[in-house]
Amino acid sequence: MFRLLDSVRMALRGIGSNWLRTLLTMLGVLIGVASVIVLLAIGTGSSQSIQNSIQSLGTNTLTVFSAGQFSSSGPQIRFNQLNAQSITLLSNRENAPDVKSVSPVISTSVTATNGTLTYTTSVIGSTPSYLAASNYTVSAGRAITSADVAAHAQVVDLGASAASGLFSVGSNPLGQQITLGNAQFTVVGLLAAKGSSGLSNADAVAIAPYTAVEDQLTGESTSFSELLIQGRSASTLSLAQGEVESILAAQNDTTVASLPFTVLNQASLISTATSSAKTFTTLLGWVAAVSLLVGAIGVMNIMLVTVTERTREIGIRKAIGARKLIVLFQFLVESVVISFLGGVIGAAAGIGVSHFTIAGVKPVLASYSVPLALGVALGVGVLAGIYPAYRAASLRPVDALRYE
Amino acid sequence: MTVFDARSDAASAPPASPPVIMLADVMKSYAMGSEVVHAVRHVDLRVDRGEFVAIVGASGSGKSTLMSITGCLDFPTSGHYSLEGVNIRDLDDRALSRIRNTRIGFVFQGFNLIPRMSALQNVELPLVYGGIPHRERRQRAVAALTLVGLANRLDHWPNELSGGQQQRVAVARAIGTNPALILADEPTGALDTTSSLELMALFHELHAHGRTIVMITHEHDIAAFASRVVELRDGSIISDRRQEPTSVGA
Repeated sequence: MFRLLDSVRMALRGIGSNWLRTLLTMLGVLIGVASVIVLLAIGTGSSQSIQNSIQSLGTNTLTVFSAGQFSSSGPQIRFNQLNAQSITLLSNRENAPDVKSVSPVISTSVTATNGTLTYTTSVIGSTPSYLAASNYTVSAGRAITSADVAAHAQVVDLGASAASGLFSVGSNPLGQQITLGNAQFTVVGLLAAKGSSGLSNADAVAIAPYTAVEDQLTGESTSFSELLIQGRSASTLSLAQGEVESILAAQNDTTVASLPFTVLNQASLISTATSSAKTFTTLLGWVAAVSLLVGAIGVMNIMLVTVTERTREIGIRKAIGARKLIVLFQFLVESVVISFLGGVIGAAAGIGVSHFTIAGVKPVLASYSVPLALGVALGVGVLAGIYPAYRAASLRPVDALRYE
Repeated sequence: MTVFDARSDAASAPPASPPVIMLADVMKSYAMGSEVVHAVRHVDLRVDRGEFVAIVGASGSGKSTLMSITGCLDFPTSGHYSLEGVNIRDLDDRALSRIRNTRIGFVFQGFNLIPRMSALQNVELPLVYGGIPHRERRQRAVAALTLVGLANRLDHWPNELSGGQQQRVAVARAIGTNPALILADEPTGALDTTSSLELMALFHELHAHGRTIVMITHEHDIAAFASRVVELRDGSIISDRRQEPTSVGA
């Protein structure tokens, strides 16, 4: 019987007969497939970078803000405070079993100076637990200690960007004095780079005991603007949040519902961000799908034109013994070859383009996108080709032969 | 040349082999608006193995319709047609295609070669549809082209060949499958006199080798090369006579 290889060869001959048109038709599918791959890669990439930047804030953390809560009537202000007592209450294993550590956060932005070198850095006054909660690791020297906090020691751990901004290459910052604002601090440790995460540079920091930061930079206060709380695990983070909220509510003589603080749960932040990134990716995928649809319509259009143009040829083929199925197959193979070839080139182009940063996003190739796009290209070929091929196969030989 | 010599088939065929063409009371009607046009009326025709029949008639006499029916390209509205004893009406697309492929060789007025295929590929095409293995179909196509005198034009494209040469490629395509019937529709219609005579010499030779040929023409001097002339008028046969064919040497 008539063999598959023969019909593929025949289809290729048909395609080659008008290569410019074939190329332009292919371009539609090519662009569609390439945009599917690139847009999905952009979606995946931006979703990952959002996740990374949230994760770089810390592991399993809750952040309690008191800022912006002073609108309630005057006398209550003194209760609406995050203070040393809050930390003591929250650190109680009995009342808050899911809280691992509580760190006060005092942050201020200052110009740091070392001789002639200056660097604008954010100074974070806290306790040693802050480093672990925020995923900072000490790469050289030591971390600040509880003893430093108790002694109001003017010591500092420098982030990677801050260190390279203040010290020339080759010099050892450990033990050196730098000026933060108007105060002298001794560099006791260097922090490993965490990488820039979205809006803020997590390496442009100087972490010092909060007692020293209050003394030298912000002035003493009985309250903190922010607490960083680390939970024991990701799964118990919402339990920890409940404990924190009820403890703070009890301390401030209020209910959880009207708690004058904002508690940001990192896990829910990630899930919100992830779901919105998913929506974004899906949206991009649909945009790409529309361009693929346009490509498919192009293939179908050209196949219909081809069938009409070659009506007489179809008549000849039928007269000399091609049966319906063979004519159908010939045109179907033509359409599938055009689409699939367009798909393969498009996939290569898409993978190529995904290596570049696009609109500030580093695309990450979604593993499913290439087989998906190629499968869709194949499907486009079949769907766009089936009707024109059926039309060709159904022509009556006597009519097709008389077609001028 | 045994492949193209139909006499060997005839010799081995059973003595009571059925006629190649058997048309009985064939009618073909078309609806043209509200009117019904009878293109072919009550035609009875029997063509036996080895005959060279010319069907003549003016345009509109129904000879093209008759040719479409005989070639299994169209069905009669009523009546009976069997080719080598096989009733055509009983067949589906697959069986009809098979008959067109193996039992009938078409030669058209406009040559009807496929433009983007070489002479050899055109002759091979019916053999491809017939599922003939690659090596054998190549051999048969080369032999057929050699027979029509185009052994040195195998790889030429149709547009590189003269009209006469293209028609000879078409004849090679028609005989390559070793059909029972060669059906030629105005084969000289697009040819000059010299090419027409060359083609008739080729038909004469095929006939001499025992081929059955049915040729439709409106030119009486072309019909003169046949051994039997059937004349159509208004869809009916008005005469059917045997004759001594004109010798081709003239």
